[in-house]
Amino acid sequence: MAEPRTVQPGDRTLAYVTLAPSAAILILLAGVPTVTVFFTAMQDVGMGETSGPYVGLENFAWALQSQVFYKALWNTFVWVFGSVCAEMVLGLGLALLLNKTFMFRGVARAIILAPYLVPTVVAVLVWRYMFHDIVGVLNHMLMVVGVIDKPLLWLNSGTWAMVSVIIVGVWKFFPFVVLALLGILQSIPQEQYEAARIDGASAFQQFWRITLPYVLPVFILTALLRTIWTFHKFEIIYLMTGGGPLDATTTLPILVYFKGFVDFELGRAAAVAILTFLILVVLLVAYFLLMKRAEARQ
Amino acid sequence: MTAAVTHGDVPRSEPRRHSELADIHHVASRIMVYLLALTAVSLVGFPLFWMVICSLKPGGELYVVPPNFLPQEWTLQNYRDLFVQTNFPVYFLNSLIVAGGATLLSLVVGGLGAYSLSRFDFFGIGTFSKAALICYMLPEVLIVLPLYIYVVDFGLADTLFALIVANTAFTLPLTLWFMRSYYNAIPAGLEEAAMVDGCTRLGAMMRVTVPLAIPGIVSVGVFSFNHAWNEFLFALVFTSSERNKVLPLGLATWIGQDNIYSWGMLLAGAVLVTIPVVLFYLVVQRKLVVGLAEGGTKGE
Repeated sequence: MAEPRTVQPGDRTLAYVTLAPSAAILILLAGVPTVTVFFTAMQDVGMGETSGPYVGLENFAWALQSQVFYKALWNTFVWVFGSVCAEMVLGLGLALLLNKTFMFRGVARAIILAPYLVPTVVAVLVWRYMFHDIVGVLNHMLMVVGVIDKPLLWLNSGTWAMVSVIIVGVWKFFPFVVLALLGILQSIPQEQYEAARIDGASAFQQFWRITLPYVLPVFILTALLRTIWTFHKFEIIYLMTGGGPLDATTTLPILVYFKGFVDFELGRAAAVAILTFLILVVLLVAYFLLMKRAEARQ
Repeated sequence: MTAAVTHGDVPRSEPRRHSELADIHHVASRIMVYLLALTAVSLVGFPLFWMVICSLKPGGELYVVPPNFLPQEWTLQNYRDLFVQTNFPVYFLNSLIVAGGATLLSLVVGGLGAYSLSRFDFFGIGTFSKAALICYMLPEVLIVLPLYIYVVDFGLADTLFALIVANTAFTLPLTLWFMRSYYNAIPAGLEEAAMVDGCTRLGAMMRVTVPLAIPGIVSVGVFSFNHAWNEFLFALVFTSSERNKVLPLGLATWIGQDNIYSWGMLLAGAVLVTIPVVLFYLVVQRKLVVGLAEGGTKGE
């Protein structure tokens, strides 16, 4: 922190005055709502209403006893686990590739990072066109290559719908992993590799003994960050499948949306949102603890 | 991983053939790198290529099985239809208003606050900056429920104003954190020199620090604009009328009705939504480089 050596008389006032608007907005838009949602979760809110009689923990009891909730929890797990694993593997692979020098590397990097910039709705639109049963280019290409012999119903079968949303999510977000890992890869001192080469270390040994240990802390932090973000991602799944077919891709955020704004049961929606949030808090705490450790080591 | 493996394990026991083998090995590993890069670029880039190509195909060609990889007839008809037959221009304008409004609000409020987060350590400031980070991490689905209640209770349902303010819940913490680290990188000594020369703290901040922070302001502005430009859930929940739809919501409502809106128009819309994002990214990229260069010379 660039702390000034001298503190002037007016500084305290200046600090509080300049921070007041930010504080006010964050309290109104994040602080108060977080409190409100706990109150809402304890109310039986009727259709078209925004509040209702207090019913204690009934909404939580409903959630924890309903199959819908556990189905959504499982789907969330599959969605997060599948997406994050694929993103990390792909991200590491492509970061290693982009870390090499070759002609047109700038162009390659721009194209590989591009999906991250594309608005989600655009990504979904293009992929839905490509996934189309009949006119979709994906089925066509897979049939030409011979992987499948008849068109796959990507978005209309439970398993493939989940695979489809994961594919789109991975395509959209793996560039973040590439960016994070590329940064750390470029900071590895080249002398270490030279020394290893002189000692006769194979390329695999160099990767295993130098690259991996160097990258690992950032790799874990990035994976955790991606887990957190993927966990509460809403629009990709909503726009790809709307949670369907038959709840096959209904994750917890999708469930919150349907409870709150389709069934208009704000109380139950709030209860599910809080349960989702609690899982997230565990992940967040893990993230901050790891980040602190990583910072302390540096 | 494969890329790393192909690199330079040269047998050292045969000095005479060493260079020849090394050459072969080197060439092989270069070819490997290019092949991998080509594969990666084609796979990752294909959806975007396909989007642009198909937006330029006439309606009939979009439903041809098997698909043509290049249009037999290039046309801008889809783009024309988009402007003539749909509310696309309205959505576009609304998106500009919402993303612009949220960005402006966060830059003014957050840019000011971030200065104090960076320079002072009075009671509560450390806590506040941590709280801002937590705000950024809050899931949208948690916040959207209570915000929806306020929006309805205050009669702000279906207004762009509600969307601007709601977006600020995420763009403001983003601005605060980003600008705080940017201000941290600007030496406090510069301001102190100005204050020794008779500037007040506020004067030093406005005349010295803020001008130096402009590259940072531009890039965080782009990030928040991008965030608000892409935002979907708040738009879905808070707005309903055609008049107040933003682009993501407008396009999303067309997806489900592919009988009425042809894929061609949808893809043309997708291309147009992406263009500002790409343009802005190009701007930041240059500004970031300029900012770094300036920081380097001024810091010495």
